[in-house]
Amino acid sequence: MRDSISIARLGIPAVALVTEEFWPQGDFFANSSGMPEVPRVKLPHPVAGTGEDKMAEVASDITPSIVELLSS
Amino acid sequence: MSLLDAASEHDALELLHDLGCTDGLPVVIPTADRVARMVLATGYEPDLVLGEMGPMYGSATVEKVATAAVMAGCIPDHAPVVVAAVRAVCQPEFDLTEMQATTHCTAPLMIVCGPARHACGQIASGFGALGPGHRANASIGRALRLAMINIGGARPGSSDMALHGHPGKFTYCVAEDEENSPFPGLHTTFGYEPDQSAVIITGAEAPHSTFFTGDRDDPNSVESLLNVIALVMANPGSNNVHIRGGSITVIMNPDHAEVIRRAGLTREDVQAELASRATISVGTMRRINPTFFVQGVDTDDKGRFSDAADEDLVHVLKDPSRVLVLQAGGSGLYTMVMPSWCAGPHRNAIVHSEIELDQVCEIPGMAR
Repeated sequence: MRDSISIARLGIPAVALVTEEFWPQGDFFANSSGMPEVPRVKLPHPVAGTGEDKMAEVASDITPSIVELLSS
Repeated sequence: MSLLDAASEHDALELLHDLGCTDGLPVVIPTADRVARMVLATGYEPDLVLGEMGPMYGSATVEKVATAAVMAGCIPDHAPVVVAAVRAVCQPEFDLTEMQATTHCTAPLMIVCGPARHACGQIASGFGALGPGHRANASIGRALRLAMINIGGARPGSSDMALHGHPGKFTYCVAEDEENSPFPGLHTTFGYEPDQSAVIITGAEAPHSTFFTGDRDDPNSVESLLNVIALVMANPGSNNVHIRGGSITVIMNPDHAEVIRRAGLTREDVQAELASRATISVGTMRRINPTFFVQGVDTDDKGRFSDAADEDLVHVLKDPSRVLVLQAGGSGLYTMVMPSWCAGPHRNAIVHSEIELDQVCEIPGMAR
């Protein structure tokens, strides 16, 4: 989240990828950083260690959302 | 109901619990009078900003920090140490925001050095110094935690994402046993004069007990002691092994420190020996965590271990100065080793701040 916020502050389009378990923390950081609307996409939890097939599936599922947010 | 119109201290306590402003234990209600007196004890103006505490990015004013100190049960004597501790953790190198948010269990370990150990409420350095029963240690460490909660906004599961935490997140404060130590005061290592006071703070796991029985007739006793401490430092499950680049705290009991004294080793010698001996084989890490370790997390390590032989050894610390070595605790068989988190933009660097005893405002009749 902090990377995304820092990049967005530079005026570069950014989307944070946040797993559902960390979604409240993402909200917390967005609010405390003064950027409550910073774009973010929710991922299932966990992603790390779930294997290449699962990660490819997650990537496929979220790619349209990332593209949409970067285009908006 | 707001705090201002709570009918009783009991109601106020329940409100503070409900608001998430406590550590789960009862606190002293920070009435305006109590906070004002604690502010006076710091010798500073209440709106002086000591730093910014993430992830909520709250301004750590003297008044807010004094509020945390009151809630923690501090007496005014403790105030200079609490102020110094907040100043220390607010230094950017400590990576407080990231540390508060991490999934790791890390907690700030406060090591108090110099005359403040006695002047600020007798901070314990002997038997059970890391455990319960020492008012100053318990209250001062807890004050920092309550500041981190209420100014920094660290709350479990929503902003503080530590998977388990550890008991040192309630309070984690110890004094160095300088009078009996074979080493100069730890603060002198960081440039302070012996008669100055300072708090050294490092992010630390809970203490790992390290068993060693010295033998005065054995000329190699010091070798055995250094070896067992190094083995615990190289615990294969620690972040120090996986991520590297962090720090490790080693708190020796008087008997183990005596072994060091008899061998004629300085603190710098011990740091160098431990950093040199704390290694793990590439083969071990390949067996237990091939993806994470072998690919290399640290920038310097990227790809470094891919082609290494199983028997190649990796040092868990890159810099001997990042072994904090000090004496505390009672006489006996155990030294304590605290691994660290090792992450954050500055690798959660060791920080320190002077404890300014000359700022203390003594107020006749101030309640202890």
